Amino acid sequence: MQRHAVKRSLLLAASFCVASLLAVCGWAIFLAAPREITMGDVQRIVYLHVAVAWGGLAGCVTMGVAAAAYLVRRNPVWDRWSQTAGELGWLCTTLTLATGSLWAHEAWNTWWTWEPRLTASLVLWLVFAGYFLVRTSLDDPERRARLSAVLAILALADVPLVIMATRWFRGIHPVTPEMDPRMRLVLLTSVVTFSALLVLLAVLRKEQLELAARVESRERAAGIIN
Amino acid sequence: MTSFTDMARTWWWLVHKDLLREWRAPRAWPAMLLLALALAMIMNVQIDLPARQRAELAGGMFWLAALFAGSVSLDRSFSGEQDQACWQGLLLYPVGPATVFLAKLAVNFFPLCALEIALVPAFTILSGVSLLADPGRFLATALVANLGFSAAGTLVSALTTSLAQRSGLLVLLLLPLVLPVVLGAVQATRALLVGEPAGWWSWWQLLACFAGVFVTLGTLVFEFIVEE
Repeated sequence: MQRHAVKRSLLLAASFCVASLLAVCGWAIFLAAPREITMGDVQRIVYLHVAVAWGGLAGCVTMGVAAAAYLVRRNPVWDRWSQTAGELGWLCTTLTLATGSLWAHEAWNTWWTWEPRLTASLVLWLVFAGYFLVRTSLDDPERRARLSAVLAILALADVPLVIMATRWFRGIHPVTPEMDPRMRLVLLTSVVTFSALLVLLAVLRKEQLELAARVESRERAAGIIN
Repeated sequence: MTSFTDMARTWWWLVHKDLLREWRAPRAWPAMLLLALALAMIMNVQIDLPARQRAELAGGMFWLAALFAGSVSLDRSFSGEQDQACWQGLLLYPVGPATVFLAKLAVNFFPLCALEIALVPAFTILSGVSLLADPGRFLATALVANLGFSAAGTLVSALTTSLAQRSGLLVLLLLPLVLPVVLGAVQATRALLVGEPAGWWSWWQLLACFAGVFVTLGTLVFEFIVEE
């Protein structure tokens, strides 16, 4: 009971810290960062875009690593970490595509182009979606964890493709553009803030999955579900 | 050394078994060939362009037809084992999962190569573009593309074989995973047809890398897919 209370206090403190960081980040993006000369205020999308793109890739890597750990250890906790990372990775990749599309409309005058990094990111989004399709197709928790873990490991193959797409295939996506030092600082703040937010969300979601699994096992034991 | 010989012999028997079964009661192969020809025909009917532009597009049309048709064979490679608990019987034999994976990979790889051997002349007649302008490099492209596609396809097919919406999921999971193969094969063939050997080499490297990664991953993770 005492342990539960400590955990709850820690989560509340972490939530407060992340909320403060988000407020600072919002101020930095909209007020502190200088206005870009060519694109104007639209360029501020980049601060969110880069942060969520990083979250998407980190989510995919974490999903694959946790999946490998599950296959080796057979501890369901690793499966829950893998699912959590996959969900957050998918959310971040969706936001990456949406914010990227908004930026592209202003910068390239099109919502979408078959540029290597855009294509690789869309593939990543589809792989995440496939991972969840497999998860929802299986009722047996052990089989669901095992087969989705294999798919999560296969999904890792797309990560180097997304990262290296602009270098290998000579696309038009910016790689490391020249930036005002203040802009660079705001970008760094944004990445750190979103990383903290994602870690907090991951911990909360994993706790929720733990509870759901506990309820499910009790329902099974009581004969309520098969 | 003996264990490697045993493994190679077991591998050959597994490949032989599947190829013989398909040879005696063909199900996937005729469907693959007809689908590839139909796709090649439909795509070529729609395109009426000068020779140079046709050469730019021919690689894309050829690989789309070949790899789409190849997915028919993938769908059959494990579902055929479901009848009368053949799969459970196979797993009861002292055969390593990696050997089963490599055998299934070969069973998908060889028909895909055979399909392309039949499709190349048909495609050349239909499109008026000779795909064999540089036969050595085209062969090297086809071998690594087929290997990568078959490796990823075998894994996904094994993964989805016992799921409720098997065929739909196979395509949904496979297409994003093999996009680098489709892209690499199309661009490598385009580079050959428009005379850019330097461009071909970088795309061939991508294909070889993809094939290497998926064959290795397959031999490592296949045991987790087939575990009962």
